[in-house]
Amino acid sequence: MSISPLAALADLRRGVAVTWEEFWFRPATARRLAGVRILAALLGIALAWSWATDLVGWFGEGGIISPAVLEAWRAPTAVSIFDFVRSTPGLWGMFLAGVCVLVFLAAGAATPVVAPLAAVFWASLLHRGPMLVGPADDVLAVILWCLVVGRSGDTLSLDHAIARQEPSPSWRNRTALGLLRVHASVIAGAAVLSQLKADTWWDGTAAWWLAARESSRIDIAAILARSEWLTNLLTHAITLFEVAFAVGVWQRLCRPLVAWGGIVVWPLIGLLAGEPFWGGAMAILAFACLPTAEDDASA
Amino acid sequence: MARDRKPELPSRPHSAGQPPDGSEGPLTVGTFAGGHLAGRRRGRSVASDGRASESIRGVATFVLSFYLVGLALTVAGNSASGTSALVGLLKDRLFSPLLVPPWLDLGHDTRLTYGLPEDADHHIEVSPAVNGAGRPLRIPAARERSERAGRWRRLARAAAISEESDAQAGVLPAAIGAGLFATAGSDDLIVHVDRVVPPEFSAAASPSVAETALEARVRRVAGDVQMIPLKAPEEMAPVVDAAPVPGAGRGGP
Repeated sequence: MSISPLAALADLRRGVAVTWEEFWFRPATARRLAGVRILAALLGIALAWSWATDLVGWFGEGGIISPAVLEAWRAPTAVSIFDFVRSTPGLWGMFLAGVCVLVFLAAGAATPVVAPLAAVFWASLLHRGPMLVGPADDVLAVILWCLVVGRSGDTLSLDHAIARQEPSPSWRNRTALGLLRVHASVIAGAAVLSQLKADTWWDGTAAWWLAARESSRIDIAAILARSEWLTNLLTHAITLFEVAFAVGVWQRLCRPLVAWGGIVVWPLIGLLAGEPFWGGAMAILAFACLPTAEDDASA
Repeated sequence: MARDRKPELPSRPHSAGQPPDGSEGPLTVGTFAGGHLAGRRRGRSVASDGRASESIRGVATFVLSFYLVGLALTVAGNSASGTSALVGLLKDRLFSPLLVPPWLDLGHDTRLTYGLPEDADHHIEVSPAVNGAGRPLRIPAARERSERAGRWRRLARAAAISEESDAQAGVLPAAIGAGLFATAGSDDLIVHVDRVVPPEFSAAASPSVAETALEARVRRVAGDVQMIPLKAPEEMAPVVDAAPVPGAGRGGP
């Protein structure tokens, strides 16, 4: 029996709708998202520490990042809660309040309130010194906003301990996990696209250029200098891994493999590139991509 | 149909879009306004139901679709290779006003390295313009690998790269100098942005080469900060002796 084009189109539309519905709205438990919340908050605290030492020197009265500098750097729509404080006590008060918010987020205390506050604090901090921002800060900002969408405080949290009730699955957790997966794939894909514009990633010497910098956290320049094959292998392995990660998180069979691989490999790439916190942030995204219990049941 | 997605229908078999426990029921505003703890207290119909109503799914679908288009445009529009006028216009008009404030207008083009001098580690060196008037500084210290050092390196790199932009040229070097007056103990400083460029792989045994990416004199005169750019040596024209070399140009075949 032949199927009419209209019926095929209707089937396709239904298939897309069901897939969309499954991906974004099928209720999920908060356990995975809670793990992401704890890891992201700890990463945020560690990254915030790197701003603390020079906070006044950068943002304070007479600091380097003055309003005139910001005017030349920032988009007109950018805004930061730090714009309104210049005095040293005010600056420290605002900063420590933000760090407290991150601590609360890690503990899962008042999570529905604290999660958006953490995202606002982080975006404000980055807008206050945009030229100081690294890739780890960018990725963390994305993760924190994704946490705002979900109900990450439903479990592994003080909220849960106080409520003393088993959390129910929620579509918001699924949406948040979906957003994290989309960003994991997009960030890895965008990195590959960016890298492949340069000769170093094609001629296999990029690993050398990364390792030879003094900011690299793995001292393997001497080893790489002795073997061109090893340098080439490492360079191409990074590219292939990024491609595999960007694509593999969408394949049901590959997803656990690339997600677990990401948890291990992203930090190693981060160490080599001198951006260990970026590697850590990417590992958190990889952790978010691991299939949940509901995914396994559905499969 | 087995895959009916309307949440209001009771006694439905477990299917796509349903919670695994098959629970359903009306949702209250508290569930979606960050008030799930309050929602729990209202009873099991809220606590055990994780499904969104049709209308909320519709709104969420619209928001998600809009955001995904914005995400694609921010990646395409924030590339270091530049962007087309069309993508730039769409992104700037429709998405940037919404995505810039939450720090989501990101290209994510983490190139790691292109092997160019700009990708080398940058640092700032400050020395008093007048001998004996202060102390020299190097930020970050050599071999310092902390995240704080990384931020100073980004600042130094931004200062060097911004010299190519009309809107930003000179702003950051002057700000760096002015911000370090007190630390260096002088109101008249020479600010260098240096970078340590690794050798090519083919000459891996060679030492890294230190280059000066930017050099400027920054001083405070009567409360005003002044910046005087000093040209890097390689940018200066070679000295040409105008006097003819004896015998040169007179020889013939």
